[in-house]
Amino acid sequence: MDAFLAQLPQQLVNGLSLGGVYALIALGYSMVYGVLKLLNFAHGDVYMVGAFIGFFVMTGFLDGAGPIIPAVLVVLLMFLAAMVGCGILGVGVERIAYRRLRKAPRIAALISALGVSFFIQNAVQLTLSANFRSYQPQLLIPPELGLSLLDVRISATRGLAIVMAVVLMFALHRLVQRTKLGKSMRAVATDPEAAAMMGIDVDRVIVATFFIGSALAGAAGVITGLVFIRVWHFMGFLAGLKGFVAAVIGGIGNIPGAMLGGFILGLVETFAIGFVSATFRDVIAFAVLILILLIRPQGLLGAKLPDKA
Amino acid sequence: MNGELKASSDRLGRDEWVAEHTGRTRRDPVAAVGAAIERVPFALRLAVIAVGFAAFPLLTDNSYVLRIVGTVALFAALALGLNLVAGFAGLLDLGYVAFYGIGGYTYAYLSSEFLGIHLPTPLTLIIVIATGVLFGWLLGLPSMRLVGDYLAIATLGFLLVFNQLTASLTRVHLPWTDGPVDMTGGPNGIINLDDLSLFGLTATSIKHYVIIIVVMLLTVMTVVHNVDRSRIGRGWRALRENDLAAETMGMPTKRLKLLAFVFGSSIAGLSGAVFAAWQGAVFPNNFAVPVLITLYSIIVLGGLGSIPGVLVGSFVLVVVPELLRDVALASTLFYGAVVLTLIVAIKPLWRAGAVILAVAALGGLARLAAPEASLPPGEGLGALVSHILILPVENATLVGNVAFVAVLGLMFLSAYLTSPTAKLLVLVPSLWLLALAWQTRLSQDPSVTRLLLIGATLVALMNFRPAGLFGRTRVEVL
Amino acid sequence: MTAILEVDRLSHRFGGLRVVDDLTFEVGEGEIVGLIGPNGAGKTTVLNLITGLYAPDQGDIRFEGESVAGLAPHKVTERGIARTFQTLRLFLNMSVIDNVMSAAYCRTGANLGQIILRTPAFRREEAATRLRAEELLGFFGERITGYRFTEPAYSLSYANRRRLEIARALMCSPRLLLLDEPAAGMNPSETSEVTELIGRLRDEGGYTILFIEHDMGVVADIADRVIALDHGRMIAQGSYEEVVADPSVIEAYLGRGTGITR
Repeated sequence: MDAFLAQLPQQLVNGLSLGGVYALIALGYSMVYGVLKLLNFAHGDVYMVGAFIGFFVMTGFLDGAGPIIPAVLVVLLMFLAAMVGCGILGVGVERIAYRRLRKAPRIAALISALGVSFFIQNAVQLTLSANFRSYQPQLLIPPELGLSLLDVRISATRGLAIVMAVVLMFALHRLVQRTKLGKSMRAVATDPEAAAMMGIDVDRVIVATFFIGSALAGAAGVITGLVFIRVWHFMGFLAGLKGFVAAVIGGIGNIPGAMLGGFILGLVETFAIGFVSATFRDVIAFAVLILILLIRPQGLLGAKLPDKA
Repeated sequence: MNGELKASSDRLGRDEWVAEHTGRTRRDPVAAVGAAIERVPFALRLAVIAVGFAAFPLLTDNSYVLRIVGTVALFAALALGLNLVAGFAGLLDLGYVAFYGIGGYTYAYLSSEFLGIHLPTPLTLIIVIATGVLFGWLLGLPSMRLVGDYLAIATLGFLLVFNQLTASLTRVHLPWTDGPVDMTGGPNGIINLDDLSLFGLTATSIKHYVIIIVVMLLTVMTVVHNVDRSRIGRGWRALRENDLAAETMGMPTKRLKLLAFVFGSSIAGLSGAVFAAWQGAVFPNNFAVPVLITLYSIIVLGGLGSIPGVLVGSFVLVVVPELLRDVALASTLFYGAVVLTLIVAIKPLWRAGAVILAVAALGGLARLAAPEASLPPGEGLGALVSHILILPVENATLVGNVAFVAVLGLMFLSAYLTSPTAKLLVLVPSLWLLALAWQTRLSQDPSVTRLLLIGATLVALMNFRPAGLFGRTRVEVL
Repeated sequence: MTAILEVDRLSHRFGGLRVVDDLTFEVGEGEIVGLIGPNGAGKTTVLNLITGLYAPDQGDIRFEGESVAGLAPHKVTERGIARTFQTLRLFLNMSVIDNVMSAAYCRTGANLGQIILRTPAFRREEAATRLRAEELLGFFGERITGYRFTEPAYSLSYANRRRLEIARALMCSPRLLLLDEPAAGMNPSETSEVTELIGRLRDEGGYTILFIEHDMGVVADIADRVIALDHGRMIAQGSYEEVVADPSVIEAYLGRGTGITR
């Protein structure tokens, strides 16, 4: 019990940084689901591509001993490149694989999504091989940099990860609640046809949704690289799935819900690794999902809609 | 005038919609073949399939051919079970392969030295099916409360958990044992399984297994066909179409869903046991996501809900990847498919021809620009194509990768072009780059390329022919 | 006349909104009862409560003397209540005949073993189901018979879809039939045909019918008794003439003090 208490704060920090990653992925999943009612299985792979973009930007600006331009700039460029690159990728995926299927049976769109996911994974494996690549955050952010509160250490990388995740989520929340684009998004999510009749360009809103969602996934990819170091072509599949689990836990289509779900999932998993065993982390994550769905099928913050007859 | 009226009198009072609809489906040759197959009596169809499969073990000793034939039949049986769950009942079960795995591992536990248990085959198979039913029921019970996509995620999670546990439960501390226990054999799997032994005969050769699998396939086909044309089959289709109406029309939808789920999982379990016995071992990899994607490709290619479609889909998805292993043959198939797609997609025909000529001309120009580049080796159509391409002597892999990424980039670009002329202009360099990527990279890595092509095919198929080959065009709520 | 359906002090709310409020009424055996009221009066909700799609917050629903409140919808159907939907809910990608045959589920009993082995008992039951389905479709004249049996339901016109939905409900062998706006979206000749059909269903088929309808012509022509709802409460009942003359009904439809007088 004492050991548990001693570890608790540190695990909390670890859980929050993992949760930030899940929450960012969940947001993209949730936004796309909200607007198109489509399970975008390729979302996790977009995140993986983001992690690789960040990796290549980083290696491009490192010369073995350290960065050739100021480290802050490198980190910023990594995020920027990954977010823009993933945004474009997401938009392209929508155009090629989903747009034609908006009115098709749901299963067709789902299988198309599965196909895209499979394609991206194998395209990356083909061009970059199946090897792990390792980020070198220690060359950008000195490992000794960080906060120490009592026994808890928050390294600067982890701190950056959590702050970055929170800032992005906050920005998204403002965007959706306060801007015209956000309003259009909510309108399309509620009723695409009615929105179209009210003069909203539905195609444009969907493209914007994909761009933003994918950009967030790209940021999540870079954060993963900085905090958890290793990236590889298959990392997106499970992470994407976890992102969806987080979105469902929070209530799909609900943005604060996705954030909440992400952090809950991150904490649960970190505790599972820390106190039970790493083997059971995914088992416990999915058990939590099923449990929550059984108690609250609409998710924690999801609204229950009356079914129509 | 009168004659005309008479000729169309059988259509009198027929809704315009119907007329248009039947007209459309008639024009489609593949769907016509599918419809023709549906008209053949079921027993006759079964007989044809039985004879078709039986020919192989009787006529050939080539174990490679027999292995492929057996795999086609095994995947067809598996896909039939999935088709029942996803195609008939409309439940997106992404954990299906886990039940296949559970069947395989159950067989392994009961027929090997791993636990030191060697049960007789019939008893084992009964236990395997019962285990499939039990696990299907256990997963199905909570899942049935989940709607649509939630079910997909919960079941996919189940599959991943199954994969991880089979790969990692090698040192488990159980309360009643002293040391850690190996429960699954981990990545090394469970090996040296007993052969199937039915009616006093033991399956020893690949021929025996092919026969057993074909018998299993025919049985599964009959069962699925019979259930489809019954109150239960109609209930499944009804709940797929409109869950709430089905419930209101007196169908216990929860129980029907659970039944479909359990039915599927027991077929998967049985197939898994037969597969395990055939392979003589089980490994976690045998039951992973690529198998799931292959199975979905099979049922989607053939047409969701179509039984003959499953056979065709299984044949294509098992045989084509095998053909891709041979570089020369793979190249011929690949370029053939590209040319065929061009001919079908670009009308009129002369334009397609012009595109192909333009690609060749581009190759010639490139060769003039770099006369020192090597002539790569190649066979079949691949050799022909090599002659119009320049290929780098060094860094072929890098060039291939860059070409591949460039093709993808051009594809993205072309998706945003509206003018057909511009699309054709982008198409020419894309095709040239695609050929370059194929020669230097894709054909060199068949295992990845295979999966890549499956992914691309799924997307293309869903976009251009969502009903699959033999499926009926379906209408969502109008 | 004995009551086949008794709705007893029924209440249901969505959130804070009382959609059905302390509602009590009866439907007698062999009666045709029309349920009218302005939009949002709770008519469809009453049908949803009776058929088990919603569980009532308070009150009871008795069918043939036994409570059916809170039963699962398929159980209610099994007891002998079937319905149609205001917004059609056909099995669009199934053939016309399969649409109807599927509704025989709760009236047939072949089990999995019999189905897989195609036993004679199963084949007899199947043939009887098919025959009954063809008979029911024949009830509507030739519009949805013959070659149309194997056409998918989505190929039917709107009026034919309504007819098909009624045939499907009849396949459940109900004693009480609930029709939710059977004449909605139909042209005048189709409407008069529906009116006649409802009469025939009672006279030839012996079904008791409770229907919702906005077309007052239909209600006037066919309803033995009319129940008017507003804000989930019953504001009047009786013959058509009595109900339409009732001041509270006029008020519900036209509002108070609008200056419109008759």
